[in-house]
Amino acid sequence: MLTIDKLNEYGANTAEGVARCMGNEALYLRLASTVADQPEFAKLNDFIASGDLNSAFEAAHALKGVLANLSITPLYEKVCEITELLRARTDTDYSPLLSEIGSLKDELKRLIDSE
Amino acid sequence: MDRFLFAGGFKRRVLVVDDELINRELLGNMLGDHYEVVYAENGQEALGKLQGDESDISLILLDLLMPVMDGFTFIEKIQENEVLKRIPIIVMTSEKEAEVKSIKLGAADFITKPYDMPEVILARCERIIHLSEDNIIIRSTEKDHVTGLFTRDYFFEYIKRIEAHRKAPADVLVFNIDRFHLVNEMYGRTVGNTVLMRVADTLGEVLKDIAIIACRPEADTFYVYCDHIEDYSPLINEIQDKFINSSGSAKIRLRSGIYLNADAETDIEIRFDRAKTACDKIRGDFTASVSYYSKDLHLRSIYQERLIKDIDQAIENGDLKVYFQPKYDITDVKPKLRSAEALIRWVHPELGIVHPGDFIPLFESNGLIQKVDNYVWSKAAQQIKEWKEKFGRSISVSVNVSRIDIFDPALKEKLRKIIESNGLDEKELVLEITESAYADNAGSLTEVTNSLRESGFKIEMDDFGAGYSSLNMITTIPIDVLKLDMGFVRKMEEDDKNLKLVEIILDIAKFLDVPVVAEGVETKAQLDLLKCMGCQIIQGYYFSKPVPADEFEKFIVQENG
Repeated sequence: MLTIDKLNEYGANTAEGVARCMGNEALYLRLASTVADQPEFAKLNDFIASGDLNSAFEAAHALKGVLANLSITPLYEKVCEITELLRARTDTDYSPLLSEIGSLKDELKRLIDSE
Repeated sequence: MDRFLFAGGFKRRVLVVDDELINRELLGNMLGDHYEVVYAENGQEALGKLQGDESDISLILLDLLMPVMDGFTFIEKIQENEVLKRIPIIVMTSEKEAEVKSIKLGAADFITKPYDMPEVILARCERIIHLSEDNIIIRSTEKDHVTGLFTRDYFFEYIKRIEAHRKAPADVLVFNIDRFHLVNEMYGRTVGNTVLMRVADTLGEVLKDIAIIACRPEADTFYVYCDHIEDYSPLINEIQDKFINSSGSAKIRLRSGIYLNADAETDIEIRFDRAKTACDKIRGDFTASVSYYSKDLHLRSIYQERLIKDIDQAIENGDLKVYFQPKYDITDVKPKLRSAEALIRWVHPELGIVHPGDFIPLFESNGLIQKVDNYVWSKAAQQIKEWKEKFGRSISVSVNVSRIDIFDPALKEKLRKIIESNGLDEKELVLEITESAYADNAGSLTEVTNSLRESGFKIEMDDFGAGYSSLNMITTIPIDVLKLDMGFVRKMEEDDKNLKLVEIILDIAKFLDVPVVAEGVETKAQLDLLKCMGCQIIQGYYFSKPVPADEFEKFIVQENG
């Protein structure tokens, strides 16, 4: 189960996130717990693999918004990076960045699933 | 005011359009205490919500990048709908360029992502809803629904704002439709409204190069605030022609009052009052269609204000004096004093003698004439009583009953009290009504005169032939005496036509079996002529001017002697 402490350790700016939830910690934790299951993570990988950078950008952009609003800083920063590259439709090897995003997401998932 | 609006558990509805559940939940949590929040996952779904059961939306919070229909397309779609486009939209975006684009498309504001703190978002929502509702209220109240012109309060408010920047000279124009009530009465309100629209259109067309703002402050009155020009006559003529053409009737006429280069230091409403004074001055005068506000008119209106202010005191202090002019029966060789007419004179302690022509029409127009009439009735009745006691003879006195008195439901009761308190007989206080009252409301006039006659009063038709005399009227209205207007007496010696006219009127009176009083008789020649044609009663300077009661007594003494 996700806690404020765990998220702080992870690097999230929980104070900001909770404030955006009007001080409602429970709501914040419930929303943050859904982040790792956002379908956009998978979409991002798939669209890049298939070379559809337009759709990949949309997926990254959506993720970025959610992560920003919840102040999940480490993931947010990486997703920002890839969003900007995709916005410019940069022809580059996305796999290192995708794998970093993947690990950060998995780490968050572990925090959610752990006791 | 706002608190009052929010009272009673009333919550405005806000539509949140975002494809991300997390974002929707965050916003819902922020807004839920203050608003009823409705959600849509994309533009398409949002359009559905706007047309569905929850269509009463006060604000839309809109994400831009969404599947199915994105935010920009959504904005474009609702801009096409006259009703929906009035709902304010706050765009939620993290892109600087998108902010500019959405504002240009018509969004009211934007919220950046990540979201600001909830307090900021709430405050922005509240402000946008407030502005938008104010706007809707202003839009629905600033214009007159009939003509599309501004309403009075907004008109003046806008001019005040215009004048804060604009220093050039301006003219103030007032237009009024003569006898507009007749249009409504005869053709109904729909036609009346059409006429009002035509006036607005005509003014708009003809004055388009100079008009700054226009309004319809009330009923059939129009105000226009214009750039100053020297000569309005060609424009006024054009307006007049266009209006007559479009209304199809020369009987409905537009008259105008203009205050040229109006003094900007004077309150704008007063400037329009002044133009209106000029406009009112030519009411009923079919030879003039425009009147200019001038210094003379200004002085005149100040003079009139003074008279209005002083009338009560004049009655109280006895500055208002009742004079009597004798009427003689000339059917015998020797003229016999028959009766008198009570006439009002005002000797103002500071202004000197105030001419009846200066205050009677003024008081007729504002209703104060009732006070004057009541005063004269009482004084005349007291005088009849006094002469009765002093000379043992009843001299009946005729008094004026103004139009407004006729439509006063308490008229008969007022007269009855006066008669009673002086111990008189109804026929001793003769009531003079003018024929113009007939044109206003023939039905009521007939009813009132009938009722007064049934009570024993005698009715004299005053100024007969002076205005729009109607033969129908003198056969419809029951009268006891016909008074020939003094204009006829003056002109009857000029030519045969006028003489013939007097003869005809005397014949009509003979046919109706009522005596005729000729007013304004000044010479023996006039008297002889009238007598010869069968006129029975004479009033005028030939016998005496109107005199105070004590001077009048010499006529009674002469007869008695």
